[in-house]
Amino acid sequence: MRIIVPIKQILDPSGITVNRRAERIFINREEYIINPNDKNALEEALKLKGEQGAEVVAVTMGPERADDALREALAMGADAAFLLTDKAFEKADIAVATTVLGKAIQKIGDYDLIIAGCRATDTGAGQLGPRLAEYLGLPQITEVRELSAVGDGKVRARCKQNQGYAKVESSLPALLTIAQDANQPRYPTGAGIINAYREWEVTVWGVSDLGLEAEDLKPLMEEKRISFPAEREFGIKITGAPQEAVKELVQYLKAGRVI
Amino acid sequence: MDFTFPKEYQLLRRMIREFVQNEIAPIAGKIDQEEEIPRELIDKMAKLGFLGVYFPQEYGGMGAGEMGYCILMEEMDRVCGSTATFLGTHIGIGAMAIYVDGNEEQKQKYLTPLARGEKIAAFGLTEPGAGSDAASIKTRAKRDGDDYILNGTKQFISNADIADIFSVLAVTDPSLGARGGMTAFIVEKDFPGFSIGKMEDKMGIRGDGTAELVFEDCRVPRENVIGEVGLGFVTFMKTLDINRFSLGAACLGAAQAALDASVKWAKVRHLFGKPIAHRQSIQFMIADMAIEIEALRSLIYRTAWLVNTGQPYLREGSICKVYASEVLHRCVDRAVQIHGGMGYMRDYFVERMYRDARITELFEGTSEIQRYVIASDIFRQVGVRISP
Repeated sequence: MRIIVPIKQILDPSGITVNRRAERIFINREEYIINPNDKNALEEALKLKGEQGAEVVAVTMGPERADDALREALAMGADAAFLLTDKAFEKADIAVATTVLGKAIQKIGDYDLIIAGCRATDTGAGQLGPRLAEYLGLPQITEVRELSAVGDGKVRARCKQNQGYAKVESSLPALLTIAQDANQPRYPTGAGIINAYREWEVTVWGVSDLGLEAEDLKPLMEEKRISFPAEREFGIKITGAPQEAVKELVQYLKAGRVI
Repeated sequence: MDFTFPKEYQLLRRMIREFVQNEIAPIAGKIDQEEEIPRELIDKMAKLGFLGVYFPQEYGGMGAGEMGYCILMEEMDRVCGSTATFLGTHIGIGAMAIYVDGNEEQKQKYLTPLARGEKIAAFGLTEPGAGSDAASIKTRAKRDGDDYILNGTKQFISNADIADIFSVLAVTDPSLGARGGMTAFIVEKDFPGFSIGKMEDKMGIRGDGTAELVFEDCRVPRENVIGEVGLGFVTFMKTLDINRFSLGAACLGAAQAALDASVKWAKVRHLFGKPIAHRQSIQFMIADMAIEIEALRSLIYRTAWLVNTGQPYLREGSICKVYASEVLHRCVDRAVQIHGGMGYMRDYFVERMYRDARITELFEGTSEIQRYVIASDIFRQVGVRISP
């Protein structure tokens, strides 16, 4: 069984300070990490590898420094890693990223599962998984909490749906996105880290390796300006006479299935 | 000149820091109070390769060498002096003696399970009458056919209560003195005639057990001699030389933690209407800590580089040990001062740090013996031989 895990390298949020008044984000320490939710995806793939044997392939699109994210994935236990990097990818939006990753996954080929995170902490878009499934023509299960079984050409999973959970079954190959709190990702091992940098290889593919055309690399979105979202007031304020207010509160609690 | 760490070491540090924060920080106080490092924690560290960080992968190690070992000790001592001591004893002296002069068979049989963390090591040198004056040990090893019979007592041995394998120095020929008359042995905990004596009740690093080793006609097979008969003192001194600067790295981590805790406290503790961060007396203490810590950091990693590149480092190793432990002493003292009465309370991290720090000026060569090593190296280069 081959499992492909697309991962993204992001700026470590613990190294940044957000200044709302100045509408600026200050980078105090420029360090990059694997998007935490992608680590959940990787963990799920590695668990399957441990339980029933699988080849886990990590793939990322990004600048050259994204090599570090792949080395970390190797140190955690991935068997192969592909870095999709090219000057032509610099302005990629989510549509272009989907095409680039989709082509790479097709080129790697012979996969049974694609396991991705639900969303990246930096953009929070949560589009890559579903877009990739569409691009590759695969069934998808999103927000997976628990992978209960993979076998007989099928995958069974428990996933979040509305207020509850649903048990879902799909044929293989399929794409899954793993919920943020689905698991506790393992630490890369020490020897894995040493070997990832000294012994193991990361395959690098660019535009020509993936057979991409100029059309594929044209972003659909254009960034005009980045601004902060309006400040939100958290919670719901109930005002009015105590008797009415209590009734309203009870309604909210019932709707939220708290009582 | 390039001061950036190679990438594997950057990732290694991040992994260790995360591990230490998640797995050790929440229980470090308990380790101190209950005087025990949980076995599950040791197993988790073993799984990630911590217990063999220094050693080559062919012997079950991580293959991260001196630099990796320093990083591990630094990150560990930021949070838990007891766990750092446990690791330093296991890796840096107990297993190190076998790595330094052990033969291939011994490395396969003993070093490999130690590096994998399946077994725990300790180092038996100090005796009631021989600490810094290591050449005056009394434990005797007499030849008996194919074996040696050991008699004597070792004192203040870290990891003694949980170790499986002990590197032990004994006198094989009293007439030849330290160089020629002492031999290093590998002793397994189950060897007949070997037992653990009195457990010590210590000021700090209470989570790592310290006890006596008692040898009463303890039979050790000849194949367990480390290196050559008569050259054990050299093996032990070489081992201590390697380990010295990594102890410095541990002190660096603890000193940094003292600074971090002080900065945090200075921000939230109000006095006369303002956080104490606004008081010059506090600012100067914080600045003094930062000055010494930065100087120490450069010293430690330059020395790790000397070791890594095969250059002499005897003097620098001792400089690391003495300077680091004294910087730490001053930093934890300031940290307690900045915390005021709170710093004296068992609930506070700096109280434990203060107690844990004091040993670093004593164990593995006191500050006085380190100064002698430094001075003797300086005088040796101008043709003067000095004695302690």
